[in-house]
Amino acid sequence: MDRHLLPEEIDQLLDGEVGFGTAPLKAHARACAACRAELESARLLVRELEHLPRFAPAIGFADRVMAHVQVFVPWHVALLDTVRGWLPRTRAGRAMAWAGLGSAALVLTVISLWLITRLDTVVFAVDMGLARVRAASFGVLAGAASTLFGDGTVQALRAGGAAGVMLALFILVLSAAVAARALRAIVAGARRR
Amino acid sequence: MPLSLELSNLPDADVAALAKEGRETAFRELVRRYERPVFSLIFRMVRDRETAEDLAQDTFIKVLNHIDRYRPEFKFSSWLFKIANNVTIDHLRKRQLDTVSIDGSPHAATAAEAEATSVDVRSRGESPLDEMEARELGSAIEQAIATLRPEYRACILLRHVEGRSYEEIAATLDLPLGTVKTYIHRARHELRDALSHLRS
Repeated sequence: MDRHLLPEEIDQLLDGEVGFGTAPLKAHARACAACRAELESARLLVRELEHLPRFAPAIGFADRVMAHVQVFVPWHVALLDTVRGWLPRTRAGRAMAWAGLGSAALVLTVISLWLITRLDTVVFAVDMGLARVRAASFGVLAGAASTLFGDGTVQALRAGGAAGVMLALFILVLSAAVAARALRAIVAGARRR
Repeated sequence: MPLSLELSNLPDADVAALAKEGRETAFRELVRRYERPVFSLIFRMVRDRETAEDLAQDTFIKVLNHIDRYRPEFKFSSWLFKIANNVTIDHLRKRQLDTVSIDGSPHAATAAEAEATSVDVRSRGESPLDEMEARELGSAIEQAIATLRPEYRACILLRHVEGRSYEEIAATLDLPLGTVKTYIHRARHELRDALSHLRS
């Protein structure tokens, strides 16, 4: 090469480009003191640039950013995170938790199998339990209706049967809805004023 | 193992995917990873700590509030730097700071005009913040960087401070590859000229 390196050729060497084209450039830089000095000066600059420090923003930068970021957590992610939060952190704790869950599952399986073999007894017990709950609930409701509306209402409901109870419930729900609507209208009117 | 510790080992694309799922720890991890690079780039572009802090904050808020628009086939950092650069260039345009260097506006017709538009980094120490800025950006090379045009500055900082390839810089700054190479070449040349008096 019978000339000095061009600026773009110095850039090529600076960027560490490889290939057939760079071999004569490197050979020239080795032989020519002026080009070697030029290349060295460019390398020095690059080294200085590469060693420039990174500045840190003020403390609490992340919090200030996050205060303006809308994080929408889907329900399944929230649920997963909650469940993950319940899991013990240590390996031994997790092993114990799994052992406990396994034991509970085993006991439940055995109980379920036993109940299946005694299905008629189970059905009888459930029926009896339901009848008692029904009687108790009706007693409580009848007491409340008698207190609020008098014995005549309770007798009328008993006479009307299921249809009477349904009608009474419908009237009750309708009254509650009308009352709620009226209350909302009053509140809205007060706000406007 | 806590989620934040697990996150620090994941690549950017995976952390961004978790942020898309609405995990706050993933958002914080992205801020933790890039607050220094983004802030440094902007600080060297605007040379004012408070403004740089505001612009860096705007950048992260824009990126994180639109994380659903991030496409994993691109580097997250390139997308982030692109927004940081856009926010900074918009600011410089608005404030017309792009024509002001520490040696005064290049458009100044007289020495008095140049003096009036110059920024003396060392003599600004009126408050502790100013003094800190002067210390941080007061070295010869920082002052030389400040004299570069904003486009050259962004290119040279991304290339040598952030270690980005020419192709990444072209994608980040929305510039043709040839233009990026030219800008970096010119920036190096101007920096060497500006620092030559120290070396001779």
